[in-house]
Amino acid sequence: MQSMYKVGLMRANLLVAAGLTGYLASTAATLQDALLLGLAALWLAVTATQVEFSHRHPATIPWQLLPGLLLAALLWVTPARHLTWFWAWAVLLMLPQPRWMLGLTAVLAAASWWQLLELLGPEQWALAGLLLAGLMLLGLSRSLALQAMRRRIRHRARLIPGLPLWPGQQLPQDVQRERQRACLERVHVELLLLRTSRWRLWSLAERLCALTRAFEHCYRLDRRTLGVLLISPDAQGAAARRQALLDALGDRARARVVALPRLGSVSRERRALARQAQPLEIKEVADHAG
Amino acid sequence: MPDSRLARPRLFLLVLGVGTLLLVGQALWFYQMGHYQRIALPALLSLVMAVATLIAAAEPATSRVSAYLTLICGFLLIAVELPDRAGAPTLWIGLPPVLALVLLPLGPAVLLNLALTPVWLALLGEGAPEPGLAAGYLTLVAVATLALWDRLRQRALLRATDPWETECPALTRASLHERLHGEFERARLLERPLAVLLIDLPQLDMAREQFGDAARRAMLDAACREIIQQCRDLDALGREDDAAFWLLLPDTTESGALLLRQRLAQALAQRVLVETGPLEVRLRLAAPRPGEPWPAFVARLQATTQTLATD
Repeated sequence: MQSMYKVGLMRANLLVAAGLTGYLASTAATLQDALLLGLAALWLAVTATQVEFSHRHPATIPWQLLPGLLLAALLWVTPARHLTWFWAWAVLLMLPQPRWMLGLTAVLAAASWWQLLELLGPEQWALAGLLLAGLMLLGLSRSLALQAMRRRIRHRARLIPGLPLWPGQQLPQDVQRERQRACLERVHVELLLLRTSRWRLWSLAERLCALTRAFEHCYRLDRRTLGVLLISPDAQGAAARRQALLDALGDRARARVVALPRLGSVSRERRALARQAQPLEIKEVADHAG
Repeated sequence: MPDSRLARPRLFLLVLGVGTLLLVGQALWFYQMGHYQRIALPALLSLVMAVATLIAAAEPATSRVSAYLTLICGFLLIAVELPDRAGAPTLWIGLPPVLALVLLPLGPAVLLNLALTPVWLALLGEGAPEPGLAAGYLTLVAVATLALWDRLRQRALLRATDPWETECPALTRASLHERLHGEFERARLLERPLAVLLIDLPQLDMAREQFGDAARRAMLDAACREIIQQCRDLDALGREDDAAFWLLLPDTTESGALLLRQRLAQALAQRVLVETGPLEVRLRLAAPRPGEPWPAFVARLQATTQTLATD
């Protein structure tokens, strides 16, 4: 199915919006008004430089909160000039966002409506409130449809388009399958866990995906931990390959290696890695053959 | 870009229903107050809204139609009723574009908002459109449209990251090729056998033409479920084409794959669907030849799939 989404067009729209907001800021009567509009223009312009088709997660929470707060501030400071923006609350609800933020937006919208009473007179005020409530519900109904789709595939979709990086919920299932295959194929499979800082996680994940083979999948276990299932013909090969991989990644991450037969629960190993003092710890298979 | 997966939920229905009741209430109010010349519009529009509500209730997938009907009602009400009210043009000028953005997809909403700019400015601007009002309107349109862009972005991202088909429990084409590439390399590295079973469902087109899309979907779903039931956890079923599927069988020798093919053919032939009768499939086995490079192997699989479909 062809998608209508084009990054270039969206960026153009963002820049047009930033330009128009900037024009409004330049014609503002008061300093506060000009500052708020200038901030809005800046937000739009920065978003234009940041928007790209890669990350599945929406922007960080403060970045998402800013439009709602700016809108409330504009309607609070200079209501007479920015009455037009009153209806934008309905559009704000259409954006994908966490539930509590929907609640916050609704509260802010109600507050900004309440203080318009003096300005509009009771009749128009009541009508505007009723219409906004209807529009907000319509916006919410669209948002809910998208949220439902998002919830349905959250645990199974890859995290970045085109990269074999999967959510951590997928890992136990894949470990189970690799266990069966390891018995069948007589190969050595081990889980390599990497812990790094929050900021470096995504760049480390991209490098990890580039360095592993096409049949070795990577997982994001939490904000700081990545996992990968390494498959090698035997234990010696696995050790050499793991060392080469860790050397290529540099020493920015702590690592923990668990051979699949010794892996109990993934979350226990993840916690052990968080407490681990040495840069590398290895749990090998006990060598019965001697 | 109609998308049945994004059908509007019950909330949409509720808003439409309440809107209808409000219009009926307004018509009754005018009747009580004796404004007989003003009754016609709300009475007529409440009928249109009732139709829109019924359409949305009957077939959630076609709620696009009821969204357009609601928009027409809203625009007519704004155009006829609002100019009467004195004051606050800066407030009411923002209502029509937001209504369009909330109800319509991106393209039509933007076109409509830009095309109707002079109309709304003339109707709601109390005769003399001032530049400030126009600037406010255009800025609102530009900024509010971004919400729809973001929704499209999110949807495109969800599509691009979902490895599963929407119609049936099979991998998408891109995921299938990625998985096959992995299995191909793994088989080479570990010197294990790999087999691929090419599956074609020749009745799909016929099912849609004669019994509609629901029958086609039922057939797809039944075939995929039957195939998955017959194979192991590590086998992967993916959709190469509309009617063509590849079943990846890692660690399977030729004799094992032949056995599976026979078992599958029997199982699928026994599966009888209500409308279309027994499932008909064409199966063919393929395996990488020794020393065959990856692009050649995929090209061979695709060529075989083509011949299987045209047989």
